[in-house]
Amino acid sequence: MKVNKKSAMTWPAMLMLLCFTLIPLLIMFETSFRSDETGTLTLENYKKFFTNFMYIKLTGSTLLMSLLVTVISLLIAYPLAYIMAKKLKGLKNVILVLTIIPFFTNQLVRVYSWLIFLQDGGILNRLFMSFGLAENGLGILYTRAAVVIGLTHAFFPYMVVTIYMALERMDDSLIEASMSLGASKWTTFKDVIFPISMPGVMSGVTIVFVPCLGSFVEPRILGGVNGTVIGTVIEDQFFQLYGWNFGAAIAFVLFALVLIFMGAFGALGRRWETE
Amino acid sequence: MKKSSFRKVLVGALAVAVMFSMSACGNSTGTADGNSSGDSSAQSDSGKTKLYVVNWKDYGTDDKELMKQFEEENDCEIVNTYMQSEDDLLTKLKTSGSGEIDVCLPNCTILPAAIEGDLLEPIDTSKLTNFNSLFDRFKTQKECLGDDGQMYAVPVVWGSTAVAYNTDNVKEAPTTIKCLFDEQYKGKIAFRDDYNDAIMTAALALGQDPNNPSDLDAIKELLLKQKSLNKTYWQTGDEFSKLFASGQIDVGLMWSGQSATMKKDGEPIGFVVPEDGGIGWVDNFAIPKNSKNKELALKFIDYMISKDVQYKWSSNGGPAPSNQEAANAIDPDYAQSAAMDEASLNRLTFMEYRDDKTKQEWNDLWTEVKAS
Amino acid sequence: MNRKTGFFGKLLIVLVLLYLYVPIVVLMLLSFNESRYNSLPFKFTTHWYQELAADTELINSAKNSLLLAFLTGIVCMILATFFILGQRYLAKRTQGLFNSIVMMPMSIPWLIIGLSILLMIRFMGFSKSMFFVAMGHIVISLPYSLLVLRARVSSLDKSLEEMSASLGASPWTTFRRVTFPAIAPAMLAGGFLSFLISFDNFPISYFLMPNGIFTLPIEIQSSIKFGFTPEINAISTIIIGISLVCLTVVGLIMRSNLKAMLGGKD
Repeated sequence: MKVNKKSAMTWPAMLMLLCFTLIPLLIMFETSFRSDETGTLTLENYKKFFTNFMYIKLTGSTLLMSLLVTVISLLIAYPLAYIMAKKLKGLKNVILVLTIIPFFTNQLVRVYSWLIFLQDGGILNRLFMSFGLAENGLGILYTRAAVVIGLTHAFFPYMVVTIYMALERMDDSLIEASMSLGASKWTTFKDVIFPISMPGVMSGVTIVFVPCLGSFVEPRILGGVNGTVIGTVIEDQFFQLYGWNFGAAIAFVLFALVLIFMGAFGALGRRWETE
Repeated sequence: MKKSSFRKVLVGALAVAVMFSMSACGNSTGTADGNSSGDSSAQSDSGKTKLYVVNWKDYGTDDKELMKQFEEENDCEIVNTYMQSEDDLLTKLKTSGSGEIDVCLPNCTILPAAIEGDLLEPIDTSKLTNFNSLFDRFKTQKECLGDDGQMYAVPVVWGSTAVAYNTDNVKEAPTTIKCLFDEQYKGKIAFRDDYNDAIMTAALALGQDPNNPSDLDAIKELLLKQKSLNKTYWQTGDEFSKLFASGQIDVGLMWSGQSATMKKDGEPIGFVVPEDGGIGWVDNFAIPKNSKNKELALKFIDYMISKDVQYKWSSNGGPAPSNQEAANAIDPDYAQSAAMDEASLNRLTFMEYRDDKTKQEWNDLWTEVKAS
Repeated sequence: MNRKTGFFGKLLIVLVLLYLYVPIVVLMLLSFNESRYNSLPFKFTTHWYQELAADTELINSAKNSLLLAFLTGIVCMILATFFILGQRYLAKRTQGLFNSIVMMPMSIPWLIIGLSILLMIRFMGFSKSMFFVAMGHIVISLPYSLLVLRARVSSLDKSLEEMSASLGASPWTTFRRVTFPAIAPAMLAGGFLSFLISFDNFPISYFLMPNGIFTLPIEIQSSIKFGFTPEINAISTIIIGISLVCLTVVGLIMRSNLKAMLGGKD
């Protein structure tokens, strides 16, 4: 078999990942097969996850939440990236920088700002009241809606960057050619623009969906009573009690899920690209 | 022209990379004495001994004023590292290398696990000049004692987790812990997101023994019923204080120390250990087995339980002192507002050690309540 | 082609920026608010900035975070570029495997990765050090650089590079003349995202930092036990201000440089 020498360029990164991700995680992987009480090898941690309906349900609702955040992010990020790449000239870099600047603040501090903004008697509430739109509390905070607002805010700018990177490289003459051949705007978009931007969309979906699945800060603080997700369960296992074994087991189940979903997204994306 | 500008960018990027990696290394060697070499030696570059303390942030040992005297007398520097939770401290103890931690602050829920895991050094209390001024109950704190009868930790501060209420909206101080389960305050309750506090509080309300609840099903049912009454479950003191300050909480489960701090800051907050009880906790200083400064660590503990330090710490919005003389010196009104008085103390049920299985069982129950 | 932004386009930009900046404006305002607990109504003060000026621990932690993030960003940019260009030449199956491995640090909670690295270095008899903190930061920030680059490189035509090679250009020349101009913006943006991920990372630093060294996220995360003061808002405001200025300056310099570099056509 012929191996292209140029593939050796992947080695530095793979070496790093081998030393500081794969090998360390093997230790954790082994831990996830250890019994809490006796320390012997066992499947009980995985069994606990799959036999208790609560964990399945939590995983399911976390998946749905992450998908929702991903879709909303896509709806916000794609048009923005498109306008930046194709309509704005000098301003596009300014807007790109502006979308990233908020990340210079700490995640916790940002989430607390949302808390102050959204809470009953908070800034949004006062704004609404001064326009006579609301009389009492809004009741947004401590609901799943607040969690989605917070998570979308935390992740969609990444998607803007990836989609913009894909769109910006696209040749405008392709669009013009399609239009001059009489294709409608929608057809041009569907058959020319979107397929070409697909790598950016795929990267963007990954960059939002994956971290969302394991998030726990936004759900816990903005979700309150309704803020339990699979990420908070993992965090509790490590920080609130000495439950590494079970916590690690959940994390690896989650990783398997990520691989499955990424595979599915990938297949979906390729289909669109080739159509 | 093209060539030169490409080089400029490349050389610039490289220069920046080298500069930052160097300054990052320089920085690390400057603050953490000679980092990567095996174990960190106790002597720093400046010749001052460093005493590594693991504690909560804003909890005494990072108060420069409070530490000044000790640092001057012993020509040493207190280096704090902060912990995130009790079980996280256990993780830290189990994964720390030789000489990395000299003093740490476990509470009673993890202390026996740390002693049993052979992580702590026995403490010779006869070398502690201030040990005799401790409250009698703390001299024989059972979680601090190992099976061999030796003392492995010294109680430093204690406090309670009980009812905080908004004095503007709730005129009479609640007399029962059941107020946290009362329809009357619907939507204005802040319960704690912590399996230990949640289950102990529910057990108190049901009249069960909080440390050995007899009927976990009833507790779960009560907590499930209580869930819809809450404004939120709070996990950190930060969440509670900010929510309370915006006037959204009438009653809540809260710590005595933080309530006292908030009251000092002018918030309309009252704190009470109700007649049917509250949860008490004791924080203890201990010395890890692999400390390289055990003598100094012992001196430090002695300093921390001295009357002066305890008084300054406690009367300033801190937790309650374990030193009886310090407790007596505190203004009785303040002591009562922070529930440091004897009457409150007697109503408390102190948190005890739980084995891993019980912890996991309680946590599962609490997760089920939260996830429902 | 129509290069004008319509009304709805402008509206969209304004709305998105509004959404993006709501919490940022709130946190900036709160840094000037008197109440320690962020309570309203608003009363102006610069008290928290004065407190901050005296808080060397907090300022040093911010500096540490910045240095670490710079290092991480640059290393990630280089590693990611190599990886993304090289992976195109892998066999299909290896490519799939490599790409799943690369995704790992993103899909396993960071606290687990941090703890695992700690267990590993203990097992090997090392002690905590800045070296391992940096390595940890690099692996978790790498996927972000990679994803941005992948969005760009997938559209890159391999045949163009091959053509350049067949015309006798050295690999270096090919990279400089063909590949680099095409992917430079994505390298920069990817490195920048990695920088930000590292800058805001708590779990890796927390588990691997030698005692007594803090980063900003460690300071903040530790403060929430009893509550952080608007000092944190103040330092965040300052950081945003500085980053705005720096980015503007860098942007102006890069613009002329990049233009000179990319402007000419072969």
